[in-house]
Amino acid sequence: MHIALRDVPGMLVRALEPISSKGGNILSVVHSRGKGSVVGVHIIFRVKDEKTLGKIIAALKKGKYEVEDVQVEGKKYFSKKTISFLIVGHVIDKDIQDTIDRINELGLVRDVDVRMRDPEEESAVLMRVNVDSKKKGKLMERITQICENKRFMLIREVS
Amino acid sequence: MRARLIIVGFGNIGMAVASTLSAKKRQLKNAGYDISVVAVCEAVGCLVDTKGLDLKVLTGAKPRWSKKLGTLDTIRDTEADIVVELTPGNVQTGEPGLSHIMAAIGSGKHVVTSNKSPLVVDYNGIMDAAKDVGVQVRYEATVGGAIPVLSTIERETKANTVKNIYGILNGTTNFILTKMDEEAVDFASALAEAQELGYAETDPTYDIKGYDSASKVAILLNTVRGQGASIRDMKIEGINRISPDVMELARDYGYAIRLVGDMDAKEVGPRLVPLDHPLNVGGSLNAILIESDLAQDITLIGHGAGPEPTASAIIADIASVMDRMD
Repeated sequence: MHIALRDVPGMLVRALEPISSKGGNILSVVHSRGKGSVVGVHIIFRVKDEKTLGKIIAALKKGKYEVEDVQVEGKKYFSKKTISFLIVGHVIDKDIQDTIDRINELGLVRDVDVRMRDPEEESAVLMRVNVDSKKKGKLMERITQICENKRFMLIREVS
Repeated sequence: MRARLIIVGFGNIGMAVASTLSAKKRQLKNAGYDISVVAVCEAVGCLVDTKGLDLKVLTGAKPRWSKKLGTLDTIRDTEADIVVELTPGNVQTGEPGLSHIMAAIGSGKHVVTSNKSPLVVDYNGIMDAAKDVGVQVRYEATVGGAIPVLSTIERETKANTVKNIYGILNGTTNFILTKMDEEAVDFASALAEAQELGYAETDPTYDIKGYDSASKVAILLNTVRGQGASIRDMKIEGINRISPDVMELARDYGYAIRLVGDMDAKEVGPRLVPLDHPLNVGGSLNAILIESDLAQDITLIGHGAGPEPTASAIIADIASVMDRMD
């Protein structure tokens, strides 16, 4: 995790406190003083699960610390949301792989459940997609657009 | 306080209003509302008695309409305080209700209506005319039937900013979807049962294609945001493509399918409603969720249609008009 701190005595200790108190095991802290009044701190710590990491990030943000970058096992971490929706139409015939690929450009399709009683009739497909909270709006726009183009009925979750 | 009414439109709802006014006369009088009906109009003619029509006679037998008396003339020329407009409306033109309402306002009478069409076609025109003349127009029965949606927004949440309103605004479609969900029947069978039980019209297009819900969304938008919206401004999807497979799949993941109207999104369409969500109501019930800044979420649930629930909302509106009459 990378945090930007003001160059004030005691600030580093105060910033590390939520990490250990919320269950993080700190492995290393690299502290690099630049020219300005902001100090970059690179912290490596171990957590038992994603929930603990979420608690640490929330505590840091609450303390007004600027959390600039979080990586988990070398990959960028983002706060995920799972959205569920159902589409009705000739979903298989109209290239379901293309539908999934276009959704995957903005999120990650983790479940696809298809009900098709008769190939002549419309099928029902429920999808669950993981997405960065910040990209949720854009993803819903993309899904709406796909459904309009392929003449699917989109059934979203109630707001 | 006394008020003289003209009832325009004497179908099931008009009859229910008249018989309720008759049956609850003492209760209303004790609460301070002395209400008489001085004229009743139907497409075939009108009945007028400035001393007050006998409501028991009116609702007990087939009225003998005077064909000489036209509705618009009766509205304009009869001495009365409130015109209760209950005709079925044409959602494209708003007629004949729009002309009735404008005639009432033009002759200085307050208006209470259950007719959505005029409010969808020319909301701003009606409200501007009423403001100019200084009369009230109330229409609680148009959204959510007996559920006090508009008066909750108007009176009970004064210090709040309404963030959005959405919900189940049509009992017919909710009845059909509930039936499909609980008994795993297809859309056509559920619709046929709704028609048999009187929940759906012989021509159910207006309900099942979502136009009725969209009219109510437009009325909410006009009331809360003052937008002059009509159903042409809405994105509308009905429930006719919902199959038993769709219902089953939704349920497997913890959802019910409900037709939801969303005010600020200007949309009506089927939505996945979590089974433990307050909007997951069954049968012909309506459920409306008001999101506001202070009170946060308020959910109102009740009967959205039917003669008695509608009469309840109409009589509440009549009483509200009387509370503010000079």
